[in-house]
Amino acid sequence: MAKLLEVQGLTKKFGGLVAVNDLSFHVEEGEVLGLMGPNGSGKTTVFNTIMGDYPPDSGKIFFRGEEITKLPTYQRVKMGIARTYQVPRPFRELPIIEDIRVGTMPDSIVGNFRGGGARLKEVSKIAEDVGLGGRFSMYPHELTMGDLRRVELAKALATNPRIVLLDEIFAGLTVAEIEEIDKLLRRKREQEGLDFIVVSHDLKALAPLVDRVVVIHFGQFIAEGPFDQIVNDEKVKEAYFG
Amino acid sequence: MCVLPLFIPLSITRLLVMAAYLAIFAMSWDMMSGYTGYVSFGHPFLIGLAAYVSAFLSHQEGFQPAHLVLPLYITIPLGIAAAVGGGMLFFLPSMRVRGPYFSLVSLAFMEILHRLIIAIRPEYTGGDRGLPALPAVVTGAVPNYYLSLGLMFTVAIGLWYVSRSNVGNVLNAIRMDEDVVEASGISTYRFKRFAFLLSAVTAGLGGAFYTHYLQSISPRRAFSATFLLDIIIAAVIGGMGTITGPIFGGYFLTFILEYLRPYLFGQWRLFAYALVAIFIVIYRPKGFYGIVQDIRSWFQRRRTGGEVYG
Repeated sequence: MAKLLEVQGLTKKFGGLVAVNDLSFHVEEGEVLGLMGPNGSGKTTVFNTIMGDYPPDSGKIFFRGEEITKLPTYQRVKMGIARTYQVPRPFRELPIIEDIRVGTMPDSIVGNFRGGGARLKEVSKIAEDVGLGGRFSMYPHELTMGDLRRVELAKALATNPRIVLLDEIFAGLTVAEIEEIDKLLRRKREQEGLDFIVVSHDLKALAPLVDRVVVIHFGQFIAEGPFDQIVNDEKVKEAYFG
Repeated sequence: MCVLPLFIPLSITRLLVMAAYLAIFAMSWDMMSGYTGYVSFGHPFLIGLAAYVSAFLSHQEGFQPAHLVLPLYITIPLGIAAAVGGGMLFFLPSMRVRGPYFSLVSLAFMEILHRLIIAIRPEYTGGDRGLPALPAVVTGAVPNYYLSLGLMFTVAIGLWYVSRSNVGNVLNAIRMDEDVVEASGISTYRFKRFAFLLSAVTAGLGGAFYTHYLQSISPRRAFSATFLLDIIIAAVIGGMGTITGPIFGGYFLTFILEYLRPYLFGQWRLFAYALVAIFIVIYRPKGFYGIVQDIRSWFQRRRTGGEVYG
């Protein structure tokens, strides 16, 4: 299988703190990768660097064999990388259907003068798909955490991605909601061939979803393998339980 | 509004002219700051640049050495071009910093231009005293009323069209969360640049015509903090990010300032309207426009039973 997304020797420092240290891993086509690690181990920093929120101090990032290390965020998104945020970031003044529609808007002034963005019907389909039916005109402050996470997911899907980076998509959800989102992600994968990198503290939610897990600790690679094997790994246990 | 000058005294007509120009400046500010969230403290930089270029090129009498004198139909477009050029040259690089840092950088530009005009070749710029006796586009309060109204409506319709289009939606989203817009595959820089361009054109247009209405220009007035505050407060009390709000703000502020004159002397007036602005920002961040909108959506919700998107 070909490598879809690859990170090589990634290092990111914030002042004296080394958030990510010489980290390398990759996601293969058709694969769902779990990214695990205790609090503050650098998972979100890895996501931010893949998205181009800030440049890495060293290391390279490849998407479909092309180097994207220096590309601006919006170009990476156009190539097919999307993300959700650990703390949902909805547009606070927009009803969620308009919020999701932003993801479909073209990246051009002229295109947006001509209408721009998907029709309400198509956006509704995306919203319906993630299970937001009947709540289209609600505002973010009226939604539960579960629905906010669905909005995050819908926004990412609206950009028509090839791979989605899911940052703690299960955090703060009820068991039923976790199951629903889990099912949704697996359906997306089967039907549309979407790939995911999933960051989650919730190991139980992660288990059925991921093909392979990469574990980091203090920004450093410590283990890699299938989920069952990883949770029994001595180094991983030590990282989690000290 | 078109037949209004027939029924009102000239003093009020003149006030209406001032209000129309303030409305133009407030809309210009709103296009940049209200929409993208990059709060400009340097709008007089754009306005003053256009005003000075047009004033300098069209100015004929006075103390400075003889130079090429151009008619207004050339100098005003050149003034606007200067505002656009200067704005792109200075404001665009400042977009690298966000929030209050951007505001401070833009404020610095205004002050730098202010100092430069005073210090460099005062025999041409008039230095601290400015340039008097500039040619007028039209003379008299009533013709100027129609001119200012025409300009104001042109700007309003143009910017309103932009704000109603999807471009306005993108800019609005940028104001709320720039990173998320970028993560939606949209180059926020492209859209901010467009908003800044429109803002500079509008500021230049207003600035050039305004200075020929006043028929004089001086650095102390063009780059004063009071002028800057008038613009910002007009936009804020009218409603940031609404385009039509700042029009109302411009008129409201002009008349409030005038009618408070007998009761509150000097700087106390500034204090009074600063208070109004603070209350609006705290309790109704969308200004008067927001209040109108709330009332309208209340009626709408009652009619449709709350569901707008089916």
